[in-house]
Amino acid sequence: MKYKLELIKNKRKIIGFSTVLILLSLLGIFYSTFNTSYKKPINLGMDFVGGNELRIERVCEEECSNFSPDSVLEKLREISKNKNVLNNIKLQFQNNNKLISIRTPYLSIEESNNLINNLDNIVGPLNYESKDSRLIGPKLGKRLLTNCVTSLLVSLFAISLYITIRFDKKYALFALLALFHDLVIVFGIFSWLGVILSVEVNSLFAVSLLTIAGYSVNDTVVIFDRIRENLKLKNEGYNETIQLSVNESFRRTTFTSITTLFPLLSIILFGSYSLFWFSLALSLGIIVGSYSSILLAPSLLLKDKA
Amino acid sequence: MKRRQGWLFFILFLFTLSVYLLINYPLQLGLDLKGGSQLTLQIIKEEGKVTRDELEAVNSVIDKRVNNLGVSESNLQTLGGDQLILELPGEQNPLVASRVLGKTALLEFRTQKKGTSTDLKTLQLQRLNIKELIEQYSSAEKSQNDDNFLKVIQDDLKEKEQELNYTSTSKDLYEKLIEIKKYVDKEITNLFIKTDLSGKDLINAGRRQEQTNNNWEVLLTFSNSGGEKFAEITKSIAGTNQLLAIVLDGESISEASVGSQFANTGITGGSATISGNFSAENARELEVQLKGGSLPLPIEIVETNTIGALLGSNNILKSLYAAISGLIFVGIFMIFNYRILGFVSVLSLVLYGFFNLALYSLIPVTLTLPGISGLILSIGMAVDANILIFERIREELYDGNTLTRSIDSGFQRANSSIVDGHITTLLSCFVLFLLGTNFVKGFAATLGIGVLISLFTSLNCSKTILRFFTTYQSLRQKNLYLPRNNFSN
Repeated sequence: MKYKLELIKNKRKIIGFSTVLILLSLLGIFYSTFNTSYKKPINLGMDFVGGNELRIERVCEEECSNFSPDSVLEKLREISKNKNVLNNIKLQFQNNNKLISIRTPYLSIEESNNLINNLDNIVGPLNYESKDSRLIGPKLGKRLLTNCVTSLLVSLFAISLYITIRFDKKYALFALLALFHDLVIVFGIFSWLGVILSVEVNSLFAVSLLTIAGYSVNDTVVIFDRIRENLKLKNEGYNETIQLSVNESFRRTTFTSITTLFPLLSIILFGSYSLFWFSLALSLGIIVGSYSSILLAPSLLLKDKA
Repeated sequence: MKRRQGWLFFILFLFTLSVYLLINYPLQLGLDLKGGSQLTLQIIKEEGKVTRDELEAVNSVIDKRVNNLGVSESNLQTLGGDQLILELPGEQNPLVASRVLGKTALLEFRTQKKGTSTDLKTLQLQRLNIKELIEQYSSAEKSQNDDNFLKVIQDDLKEKEQELNYTSTSKDLYEKLIEIKKYVDKEITNLFIKTDLSGKDLINAGRRQEQTNNNWEVLLTFSNSGGEKFAEITKSIAGTNQLLAIVLDGESISEASVGSQFANTGITGGSATISGNFSAENARELEVQLKGGSLPLPIEIVETNTIGALLGSNNILKSLYAAISGLIFVGIFMIFNYRILGFVSVLSLVLYGFFNLALYSLIPVTLTLPGISGLILSIGMAVDANILIFERIREELYDGNTLTRSIDSGFQRANSSIVDGHITTLLSCFVLFLLGTNFVKGFAATLGIGVLISLFTSLNCSKTILRFFTTYQSLRQKNLYLPRNNFSN
């Protein structure tokens, strides 16, 4: 029989490729921890460290006048009597100078309101109907972080328990290995994104990791299901049966990934800005997850012929 | 045959019911979709955990205060045992809410210790000076360029600190002034002795403008026993030099003398007035705090989210585009690859969408941005089940089975994979829902509901529709179910 996917032949290549991906991810995580200003494995956003994020549109007749962020910051400092509010402030103009986005460390509601009023004086008028402002206290941020880490651990535990009960230990172990592989790679990609593009992760990133975990196991389980069924039905060799099962499930797995990627792509293209990185993380997770379910996890099941 | 028809009618019935529900019970939109403010309040307790009773007490006080503020459609929920989430729909400025909510509003009445008159007078004078400084600061802030003036205030402040033998710790000048004022208010409170009359004896609070000037005063109405206590206290100090202090959260906000005409009976009638140079806004805030009662534990606002109404409706539009284009992409892909089967899956996806939304309005689930992304993502997962089934049906067809048999065993054999896959996703949703924050919960809820409904629509609706289709002879040709380029695995 002719296989589209030659697992047995390519076992070493597949495992080697995954090892390289994992190492690159770990490198990103180490680099981020030791060589960046935030000294964390991943660039934690204000959900986890607290802070103030403000996005507001300007009201412009036709074209919004051009301001340099530095000059605006300078004026803000002149106007505001509370100088330390303006430390570590990041200000950007986006969307043809129309959208102002600002990040500062945690401010009280009063301080935040003052900041907006001052901005209105400098670059205004502003359209308050288009305001998007978030303030998160540092304590809450810490708590959110612990919450996210706990939910990740608990759900990983629950998933491993379920597949151990449903399959035998060996299958469970490899399904979990594939799962960790996917999570580490997505985490690593975002570590690199943090290092290179200062992309920050928020609580939706934790959600995406959890969803990826569920999705990745789902994918692997379907293939393992098929392997188990075929091992009972077919009279071919162990390795051949695994290869056959993967090829039988190949269309299903790729089609499923594609149909899940379509809606995510729509969110990336048309959805709200706040969901952009979330959808991207999910998309990456689904791509890596499909790869690991089709190629990596079954390859791990293959026996080396002595 | 009868049973199949039964299912078909049941599905049609569910569909009609969903449409009915959606028309009559509109979906609840989260603040990120309609605009408004959301505040997360943290209850602060130095030692031990916040008990259920304390949580409920805080909840009811905040609830009363919000209602007294006159915000319509506000919504208050507890979160995680020691947090509250307050939603103020519409473009609300969280500033007012924050001022009113954050205060404990513990109201006390205290009588002056003997022999403290000189100290009190000095402190009162200091307080007056600081108040003036604060006013000067505000006007300087408004005119914006008066740096010299601020320098003067700063120097005055230093002088005050020396006189009071107290150094402020705040960094900002305005905060320094407020801190000094609080310090003086507390020092004044220390010259007074507690009585047994407190905010608990209040039954109402109100406010009115003073007739002589523009200032406002706050009116207090005591309960019967409170009125008696008040009469007794005023009687005991009437005509003496001792003053009566009204203390809010440990800071004296007003000190009053009681005239000698009350020496016999005290002030009766069960009401009192606090006139302490209140602005209209301050008087209203105090009124709201007193009406709502005092908080058993202090709270802190740890998170605020404000989203403008325009942005909210933009978010809805964007999500709608994303959801519809996602569905169209998926639909085209499915019909292209699976032909008749694909068409069946599109029908069952549409049903899936309607069932989901109807359930949201029934439960009810408040729809937020992450919630919508959960819904959109669950479309992908719902299609997955269909693909699993269709691939199995095709295999059966390749093996030379009849259409009916292939369909039946296709569904049967895909069953275990579908259930396994859905359960792992459900597990994640369950954990997310239990441990997640507000936003995360929305995502977990919609994804979880989606996964459950997907079990029904993919296993049942797709099957019923498919069987209905195959009752027509023209739709029974095998090649309509196989890919155009008929390759074999």
